[in-house]
Amino acid sequence: MTDMVIPWVLAGIPFAGALVCLAFGSDPYRVKLCAIGSSVISLAATAVVANRLPIPPDGLLPLYLLPIAAVVATLGQPVHEHHRLAWTLTLIFLGLGMAVLTGGNTFGPLSLIMIMLMIMFLLYRHHTTLWPISWWGIGSFGVGVVGAGLSLVAGPPVSSVASLATCAVLLPLMPLHDGYLTALTRLPGSLPPFIVVLLPVLGLHGLATAMPTMPSEFVAVVSLLALASSLYGAIKALAQSRVRLLVGYGSVSFFSILWWFVAGAHTATPRAAVLAGAVGLATGGLLVAWQVIRTRYGDDVDPQAVSGLAAVMPKYAVLFSLLGLAAMGIPPFGVFAGFMGLLLTAPPSSTIGLFIALTAWLAASWYIMQMVQQLLFGTRRPDLRYADLRHPEFTSLLIVVLALLALGLAPISLYSSNQDPKMTATTEQSLAWNR
Amino acid sequence: MLVSLVLIVPLLLLSAAGIVMIGGETSRFTRAKAAAYPVGLAFLGAIGVLTLVSSQSPITIRFYDPASVTSFIIPIGFYVDRLSAVMMTLITGVSIIIYCYSTRYMYQDGHARRYLALICLTDFVLICMVSSGNLMMLFLFWQILSYLLYLLAHNHVHPATLTGAFKTFTLLRVADTAFLAGIVLAYQLYGTLEFQELFARAAATPVTISILPGMDVSAATAVTLLLFVGAMGKSAQFPLHLWLPGSLFAPTPVHALLHAGIINAGGFLINRLAPLFGMSSTTLHVAFVIGTLTAVLGATMMLAQNDIKKTLGFSTIGQMGYMIMECGLGAFSLAVFHLIAHGLFKATVFLNCGNIIHKARQEPHFPHVDHAAEEAGFSRLAWSTGFVTTLFIPLLILLVTHGVLRIPLLESQGTVIILFFIWITSSQAILTLIRLRAVASWKVSAIMLLTLLFIVFVYLFAVESFTAFLYPNPEEVASYFRAADLPDWLFDLIVVMAALMTVMGWIYLYMRAHGRTVWIPAWIEGLRIRLFMVFLNRIYADELYQLISSMTAQLIHRLDKLERGWSR
Repeated sequence: MTDMVIPWVLAGIPFAGALVCLAFGSDPYRVKLCAIGSSVISLAATAVVANRLPIPPDGLLPLYLLPIAAVVATLGQPVHEHHRLAWTLTLIFLGLGMAVLTGGNTFGPLSLIMIMLMIMFLLYRHHTTLWPISWWGIGSFGVGVVGAGLSLVAGPPVSSVASLATCAVLLPLMPLHDGYLTALTRLPGSLPPFIVVLLPVLGLHGLATAMPTMPSEFVAVVSLLALASSLYGAIKALAQSRVRLLVGYGSVSFFSILWWFVAGAHTATPRAAVLAGAVGLATGGLLVAWQVIRTRYGDDVDPQAVSGLAAVMPKYAVLFSLLGLAAMGIPPFGVFAGFMGLLLTAPPSSTIGLFIALTAWLAASWYIMQMVQQLLFGTRRPDLRYADLRHPEFTSLLIVVLALLALGLAPISLYSSNQDPKMTATTEQSLAWNR
Repeated sequence: MLVSLVLIVPLLLLSAAGIVMIGGETSRFTRAKAAAYPVGLAFLGAIGVLTLVSSQSPITIRFYDPASVTSFIIPIGFYVDRLSAVMMTLITGVSIIIYCYSTRYMYQDGHARRYLALICLTDFVLICMVSSGNLMMLFLFWQILSYLLYLLAHNHVHPATLTGAFKTFTLLRVADTAFLAGIVLAYQLYGTLEFQELFARAAATPVTISILPGMDVSAATAVTLLLFVGAMGKSAQFPLHLWLPGSLFAPTPVHALLHAGIINAGGFLINRLAPLFGMSSTTLHVAFVIGTLTAVLGATMMLAQNDIKKTLGFSTIGQMGYMIMECGLGAFSLAVFHLIAHGLFKATVFLNCGNIIHKARQEPHFPHVDHAAEEAGFSRLAWSTGFVTTLFIPLLILLVTHGVLRIPLLESQGTVIILFFIWITSSQAILTLIRLRAVASWKVSAIMLLTLLFIVFVYLFAVESFTAFLYPNPEEVASYFRAADLPDWLFDLIVVMAALMTVMGWIYLYMRAHGRTVWIPAWIEGLRIRLFMVFLNRIYADELYQLISSMTAQLIHRLDKLERGWSR
């Protein structure tokens, strides 16, 4: 009986926090404090009850990552009355996200539909001249909603395919990646850094259930699509000059690599969750870091116009470069650990596939390094006023860096009781190479 | 005790970085000086490790369960054998000199604190890399090193420095990706990344893999070729050498460390995985070709440069090519000996290089040499001594190795090729000496002869002792030479070409010195000038890199524009 209440408690804490936020509506400082407090309580509650929850195939890591991402996203925003709605919505999305992960077969999909409908509504309402309304993005989420609805009412194989379409919207896969990109660029305030963790994690959770039931022919198509998507993401990221799009396409590339691994293994393991969570967190961290620049120089600041921050904003420079390293998949951070973990444990697959995945991984060194170099190094501009990180911004970025470090160094057994394939299994697999 | 010592050495270097970095601006210089003590202690610790490892078996420290290496993605562990201990001593020894030098050299630099901390951190990473317990940990520190090289460029306000640093990082990442692919393939094939176990499994289960339909290679070849590309990147082998000249804007002590420590990573990797490389003749042959090409191109480009740092940089590229060539011939221990000797020599030269540049800026005539003031004329005695020396010494070496050291020389092609390579290079050195100083004196001739004999015999003795120290099992050494055996026709061709080049060089010198006209076809004369221009411009490799970069960027932007039409 108690175990049945746990999902409600986990989903309820953020909702209760959102209600308190509404009560403090006039004071942005208190709203922010309340949003952070609720997220921290949510994280603590997860840690307390985690061992009583059934362990899904992708492990329990997503349950910990969501509150952390909420704290990071909220902390990274300066106190301003315009951000009150975003902070409250972050809590609501957190509650719904926890409900999807713990809510089972009925409550979970309904919460997922709710999340996508809310994002569609927000995308419809929130657009600027810089980021105009994107019907492609809203349409993608529409496909996701229809897919989630069909997976509830239809039988297999329609439900599996519909579920896969929803997953492709959440864990972005070409050609349904526009929803993710639009959410990342258009949503207000603290929502983008949180959404880039929430959507992929939920997508992977759905994939863990849907993938094992997929017919092999369909999985082969998904594999091909994933490889094309990873290259597409990398090429698009290389061509971007706007930071949010660069970061967004870069993450699409990494998530597509994840799709390739999941399709190859026919299942999503806790290692896949490490990669999804780490890429999401690194992307969220970079968005928070870019938010710091936007706060100082305006929303429409051209990244080419800012340079030489390393000399005058040392704290920012150190954390931003560490985030850049993490995002491009350099050890000892989580992105590398997740990527490497999947590479080592994945069954031997096509050489061309491995080559494309490695090329996409390598391309990140160009576009992310270029962005980091552009902002941090070069000549300092005398006409710009430089101000290093404030305490909340510093804490927010530090949490991301530490979380990514923990994801890279912690043993996988922390997130799941599933044992790794031992050497015997690998040796058996390696026999496939014998001739 | 040995376990503690192995752990203390890197920790001391890390603490040195902490001492430099943490604290106020007022105590900056005091802390910089204080940090030299842990670096010095690390050197003493490394000597201790070397002494203990020499008398005991290799030491293994693991902070993970080797039965399930993937439970920790980054398994932290140490494996220190004689090779690691030698490398640790070399790195810490060079580091203490460079660190002490840097504290004064960078005294007035605004970012000296960051710079000194990075030097200590690089030493820490290098020590962890050479004492890694498994391939994954080695790769971890290998990659961190790529990024540290980017940061060590130091002056990130200077556009050329920034471009060079970016090129360094991206080119090294290309090589790192091949290294990563090698690790993945090795794990998928053999199920382990532990060094000894990996060698044992690779030897026990010869596997063939199909890369493309109809294209089969042995697993050892596939794995070692990928790992070799990784080594090519760090050791600046052609065509991945471009990053080294681009990184020359960094402060000179950085180059001392780079050329004495970091760049040796490729040679170290091949030696660490020697049993695996010894299983693939194909990879060793590829290494021989790449190494020879790099040695020849590096040395030729060095001769055409007019900038002291670039000259030294290309000299290093040539030497690294030589080292990789030695590996390709199966002379793994010789490659380590070479990298130690070269590291110590190049660190000294680079540390002095800053002063030379400084002096040249203050004294416009320095280091200009008035060629008219050179001693003119031809000394028959000096010429004969050089000629006899370069023909006589190789013969003597052959006799001594056969008769005294009892080395079956002709059974290992690698040794013969190396000897012939030494023959060419020593001839070239003597030719240069004679051209510059034509002194007709018995004393000079005798000194020249004795010095050469002394150097050759000491070198031979040192190499032989070092080989016995590093690879105590002679059968293992012989097996590497056997694996590297070239086809007979190629071996004969190399030997004949080397002999012809040396003899022709002497004949050319003799005729020129006697004022005789050496008939050279006009097209060769023209080609020589054109080639000089090509090598002066570093075979236009930078321009080619630039062209490829801009063409790729154009293509990417075109694709991006096309795609915008139907999406977003």
